Amino acid sequence: MRRSVFVASLLVTAVMGLGGMVAEHKSFVASAQEKQASSAEVKIDNFSFGPVAITVAVGTTVTWINRDDIPHTVVSTDKVFKSKVLDTDEKFSYTFTKAGEYPYFCSIHPKMTGKVVVQ
Amino acid sequence: MRMHWRDVSPGERKMANRPKDEILHDHNNDGIDRRGFLKCMAWAGTGAFCVMQGGVLKSYSMSRLSEMNPADMKGELSFVQISDSHMGFNKPANPDVAATLQAAVGKINALSTPPEFMLHTGDISHLSKPEEFDTVEQILKSASAKDVFYVPGEHDVLNDDGKQYHERFGKGAQPGGWYSFEKKGVHFVGLANVMNLKAGGLGTLGQDQLEWLEDDVKHLKSSTPIVVFAHIPLWTVYPEWGWGTEDSAQALAYLKKFGSVTVLNGHIHQIMQKVEGNVTFHTACSTAFPQPKPGEAPSPGPMKVPAEQLRSVLGITDVNYVQGKHALAVVDSTLA
Repeated sequence: MRRSVFVASLLVTAVMGLGGMVAEHKSFVASAQEKQASSAEVKIDNFSFGPVAITVAVGTTVTWINRDDIPHTVVSTDKVFKSKVLDTDEKFSYTFTKAGEYPYFCSIHPKMTGKVVVQ
Repeated sequence: MRMHWRDVSPGERKMANRPKDEILHDHNNDGIDRRGFLKCMAWAGTGAFCVMQGGVLKSYSMSRLSEMNPADMKGELSFVQISDSHMGFNKPANPDVAATLQAAVGKINALSTPPEFMLHTGDISHLSKPEEFDTVEQILKSASAKDVFYVPGEHDVLNDDGKQYHERFGKGAQPGGWYSFEKKGVHFVGLANVMNLKAGGLGTLGQDQLEWLEDDVKHLKSSTPIVVFAHIPLWTVYPEWGWGTEDSAQALAYLKKFGSVTVLNGHIHQIMQKVEGNVTFHTACSTAFPQPKPGEAPSPGPMKVPAEQLRSVLGITDVNYVQGKHALAVVDSTLA
């Protein structure tokens, strides 16, 4: 009897231990996912933003990177953010702390437009 | 320089050798030979000299220029338009834009009639950097024409809302960068249509500039020849690529009374011409890199051509005015 109790208690401890590890693992994975979700990238190429529209969570940092062979800028239509001129391979980042819709365009080539939707 | 006969089709060669060079098809009875002009435009790539004299279009092939009566070609006023030097650009389409600008200066210095001054229709620099502006000014110092009149391109007003451009080139201009001046009875107007560009929009002149323009030309006699120069074309070349100015119609309305209006633009890095009533529109080549024709590429970026062809798609524009003639003679020539 005692042995089975002992074994049972061992099992329970093991399960609890495992459960604890799983729980820790879950929270580890979750925080890694959160870190991934808190940044997003928009590529600038061929006179366009790609993707043209992105949806991100509040607190996300969006990074624009210019892969075109001509300089561009990233300017919010509502004057929320404004990059300096980005030559090829230069980047601009902005962290969105408030939910909303943020249309933007390239001030050098105003036909280039994009949008960040923050939820 | 000289036309290369091997590059000319037999039909064009035949046309060029015609003894009678005047084309006289005046269907609209307004003195403008549109069909002749279109033929002339087709020659522009191989070197045609088109002159509007007394409302009649005359065209001559560049290879026969040496035979021409210099009086037909010379004027009381001669100037050159260069554009889009993009100093600082260094990608494959042209790794050495300083060399091609220098070649353009060489071309200017070789003109038989030395120009009195130059117009630079913008995108002087590529990234609005001080050293880029410095280099252009330095290179242009070696041109035979010592005075240069600039208007800004969108590449010249980055980062600082045009402050640096204005300090360097805007002396005597209105705060927004527009201005006018007279040379030998011709009234020149420099316009700035690259400030305050709106999302999804085209070039823009703005209310202040339009009001200034109206006032500036109000008291001029309608016989005064007008030259307007601005970076982005003042007619709608291709809206999908932003090649147009949204409020230019208003500006052109103020110029309606004049018998001769020449509009010189840049921005699109290729030669395009259009005649509408008394207004001749002309866009110049870049001295840095060519761009594709409207719609012929997914985007209006620098167009790569084989290295040996580069100089044949870059160029300068020579303009001659003969007093009493209807319009200015506008002649494009490439760097090759």
